Amino acid sequence: MDQEFSLTSELRDMRLVIATSGYVNNVGGGAISTEFGRHFDTGVREVVINLAQSKVVNSIGMSFLLEILEKLHEAGGKLIFTNLDPAVEKMLTIMGIFNLAGKAATVDEALKSF
Amino acid sequence: MKTPAASPDTFVDRLSSRIESLQEGFRKLSRSAGLPDLAKRFAETVGETVPGAAVDIVHRSGDAGPWTPLVTSGSLSDGVLARTAGEKYTLPCTVRRENAYLIVVQKLADKSQLGIMMIPGDGGGEFSEADVVSLRLFVQYFDNAYQDLMFRRNEKGLVFSLNHRVLQLNSLIETGIEVAKLDHHDAPHHLAIVRAASLTNAARGVVTVSSGKEVREEYTFPVGTVVNRSSRDMNSIVARFSFLENTYRFELFDKESRSGATPFEETDHLLLDALARQVHASLENRYLHEQALEKQRIEQEMSVAASIQQKILPVGLPDIAGYDLWGTNIPSKSVGGDYYNCIPLYDGRFALIIADVAGKGVPAALLVSSLHAYLSAYLEGSFALTRLAARLNKVLYNDSTADKFITAFFALLTPENGDLECLSAGHNPAYILRNDRSLVELHAGGLPLGTIDMDLPYKSERATLQKGERLFLYTDGVTEAENESHVLYENEFPVTDFLARHVPDSSETFIDELLVDIRKFTRSAPQNDDITAMYLRRLAGPSQ
Repeated sequence: MDQEFSLTSELRDMRLVIATSGYVNNVGGGAISTEFGRHFDTGVREVVINLAQSKVVNSIGMSFLLEILEKLHEAGGKLIFTNLDPAVEKMLTIMGIFNLAGKAATVDEALKSF
Repeated sequence: MKTPAASPDTFVDRLSSRIESLQEGFRKLSRSAGLPDLAKRFAETVGETVPGAAVDIVHRSGDAGPWTPLVTSGSLSDGVLARTAGEKYTLPCTVRRENAYLIVVQKLADKSQLGIMMIPGDGGGEFSEADVVSLRLFVQYFDNAYQDLMFRRNEKGLVFSLNHRVLQLNSLIETGIEVAKLDHHDAPHHLAIVRAASLTNAARGVVTVSSGKEVREEYTFPVGTVVNRSSRDMNSIVARFSFLENTYRFELFDKESRSGATPFEETDHLLLDALARQVHASLENRYLHEQALEKQRIEQEMSVAASIQQKILPVGLPDIAGYDLWGTNIPSKSVGGDYYNCIPLYDGRFALIIADVAGKGVPAALLVSSLHAYLSAYLEGSFALTRLAARLNKVLYNDSTADKFITAFFALLTPENGDLECLSAGHNPAYILRNDRSLVELHAGGLPLGTIDMDLPYKSERATLQKGERLFLYTDGVTEAENESHVLYENEFPVTDFLARHVPDSSETFIDELLVDIRKFTRSAPQNDDITAMYLRRLAGPSQ
């Protein structure tokens, strides 16, 4: 099961790809939000969050993801989640995340779908 | 706004001309995403309605405390903060004039306060009454938009909270199903602590399995987390149960919120308890399942043992001229290792053998199989009965474990004259029933076969079966048959009495009557050992 949280990010043609590892909780959600905000302020509006190494998300972590989602939505941007563990995918579905966000099997697939 | 070159429009005309922009302003404010956004839109709208005016906006959470700037227009900010810091402006909303400025402090729906200061543009001059009314209207719009914003925020929070409850319920059910899976690779208590931490927003969790004071396992989530023991009492919840010799303790630490830590709620306790109970049920089910599998394995083994045994036991015994021979084997549910046979020898004699292996199941059946194989081999040649017993003892000793041995009774019959050579290898005595109804006990021999490899000698004894006389061989399944009160058949009905009282004209009838008598005694008590017996009757008539 999940370790302590960490993340990496990269920009691909003004598209932000964040890959997380570990428990997406207050700490993890906050770190994702900070990383997102840093790039959003520079005009990035298309974001991929790869949750392959995050098997557990709590509702505090999800609230951060929702905020990112709303911010992008208001700015006409788009967020796509990839590499979802079935349990995490079900959680995000129940929490209504996919009403606004997309999902894809892989990062490459997500990048092609923008 | 009044200017040195004032417009000839009347106040009403000027006010009317702004209605459209006020309506648009309201629509603009209503679409705000948050307080900073609302303030920004407000400043823009006022700026459009009162051209040239600059606006500063500040906000604070209550009647006192510092103001937070939301919109600043350069040099005005400090002035606004300075002017509004000292509770100078009374509530409710009043637009005040101070020098060239318009200043208003509005109490909002959540009791927080909004401070607004409007200053004329570079052209100077004073704000008109229409400007004052416009500002007042916009402040009301702001208040309405702020209420709408709070409503939307609360609504969003409620939806989120409701979804989270649905998620908790769903996860509780799914976790119950997952921990109940017998082939699940993860330990159920690991899965439960992870789910519990996630669903209660705990920062970390630990499940400890201990037996007495010995901690057998400690699993933390996130993996590798060092649990801060000193913070346990401050913000943690616990659920525990005991199963077999182990105690399972589930503990969650530091419930999270967006603003930091928050105390666990009653529903968190309920959820942790529910998950712990699911693990308890799962462990019980796994245990019972393993027990059932073990039972099934033993039954399969017994079936194999029974199959081996049935293949070894004779389908029928040979006809011996002048004799009536019958034998039977009633296997118990837990297969034992009884054996009987009558093997014709090369010299015209017959070897009657009855044996009982210590122990049950496949090992016992295999040892019987060995005995059968050795007998078949050795009985093909010339031998002395005592030497046969000694050789069997040696080879079976090599074939068996320390707790396995065989008791056996051998009787070599010379049919022509009824001569018997008998040997008991630790077996129950055999009996000859004389024609005068007296009994002769045959017990000479030695130790059971396979017990010890020290070349200890065996002794045999000789007897003669006269016409009409009978020989009875049996295993302890006969004498030790138990009734419901665990009383042995032998204690109530000694087999010697039965032998003396029952002298039918058929060996088969004798065996049948014996079995009926045993069943009558044991009634519904389960048969706990094989029942094996042989009965040889030397026929009385010369023509027989």
